[in-house]
Amino acid sequence: MNFAFGSIVLALIWAAITASFTLLNLLLGWAIALIALWFIRSYLASPVLFSKVKKIIALIAIFFFELAMSAIRVALLVIMPNIKSHLKPGFIAFPLKAKSDGEITLLANLITLTPGTLSVDVSNDKKILYVHAISIDNKQQLIRSIAKGFERKIIEVFE
Amino acid sequence: MSSADFLIFAGIVSFAILSLAFFLTILRIILGPTLPDRVIALDMLVYIGIGYIAVVVIYTGYFLYLDIAIALGLVGFLATVAFARFILHRGRASEQIKQMESEPEPEAKKKRKRKL
Amino acid sequence: MIIAFFQYIGGLLMLAGSIFCLLAAVGLLRLPDIYTRMHAASKAGTMGTGLLLTAIAIVSFDGAIILRAIAGFVFLLLTAPVAAHLLARAAFLTGHKPTELTIINELDSEKTKK
Repeated sequence: MNFAFGSIVLALIWAAITASFTLLNLLLGWAIALIALWFIRSYLASPVLFSKVKKIIALIAIFFFELAMSAIRVALLVIMPNIKSHLKPGFIAFPLKAKSDGEITLLANLITLTPGTLSVDVSNDKKILYVHAISIDNKQQLIRSIAKGFERKIIEVFE
Repeated sequence: MSSADFLIFAGIVSFAILSLAFFLTILRIILGPTLPDRVIALDMLVYIGIGYIAVVVIYTGYFLYLDIAIALGLVGFLATVAFARFILHRGRASEQIKQMESEPEPEAKKKRKRKL
Repeated sequence: MIIAFFQYIGGLLMLAGSIFCLLAAVGLLRLPDIYTRMHAASKAGTMGTGLLLTAIAIVSFDGAIILRAIAGFVFLLLTAPVAAHLLARAAFLTGHKPTELTIINELDSEKTKK
């Protein structure tokens, strides 16, 4: 089921990228998708359930909003005349509740693109994510906002 | 001002702004005290390059150029990853060279002298 | 009429995107160390380029080109944080020191314990 669904989605993306929706091109895209999926067959995760679509869309919406906010915040910070007094950078250890590699990767990517934070490293036992923040007012509050915002939403989508 | 005129006007202003951004980024590449600084600036240069191509696409109306922007994004990402790995390995290598220089060299030299 | 409206929106997006790119470059120049510069490059840079690609999608009125512009944007969103993360990690592991303004450094203390 996952294999078929993935190959159809990839075939449609192929048709979109090559900008022609003829039957022959769709079949070619489908064949390439099957070959590509065959290469990564042992890494394919459990099928994504359609009942989670709403949560995935909510995650994407929150993500775009946060990306816009973070870009505006960094942009405003950059044009401050006395930049050094507004900077309070630091490395923070963030305890991970997410377990699988996929969840951690997604969380790290989202953290990098959200206000004032940048993921730097994951500890070897995958329990702690080290985050660089550009201005820390309250460490506990920052950790709580990540844990309650993105991490909870990601776990909801994946579980 | 009609909408098409506004689009062309916006394109010209965008060209000017992006050129300034290009200049500032190259300034960082020249100034950048360390290698990672320069690599970040190169990464930024790729983003601005994609932006340039996007503005060219709108300004000229040749939408085929969009493929070049996507390809540039691919190459830029791979280049940054390669540079990151290079920084990692070069850093370790320089540490090892320092260790080798600091510890075993004097004895080795002595032994060589004795043999000679 | 509707075409004119979309062209105005596209022009505004184009201006906003290039201004974000400029601010990212200014940030690259003004911020004090590698890690803070990475914030500017990865966030404002992605946002600026993404807005410019979105402007193409809005102006083009062609399904294939809209899809391709969106695919480029999504690709950018997927790769930019990975690149920034790899660079930050490489810089940290090879011992590039953060600025003196840094107030908390939990990563450093963890690494030295091992």
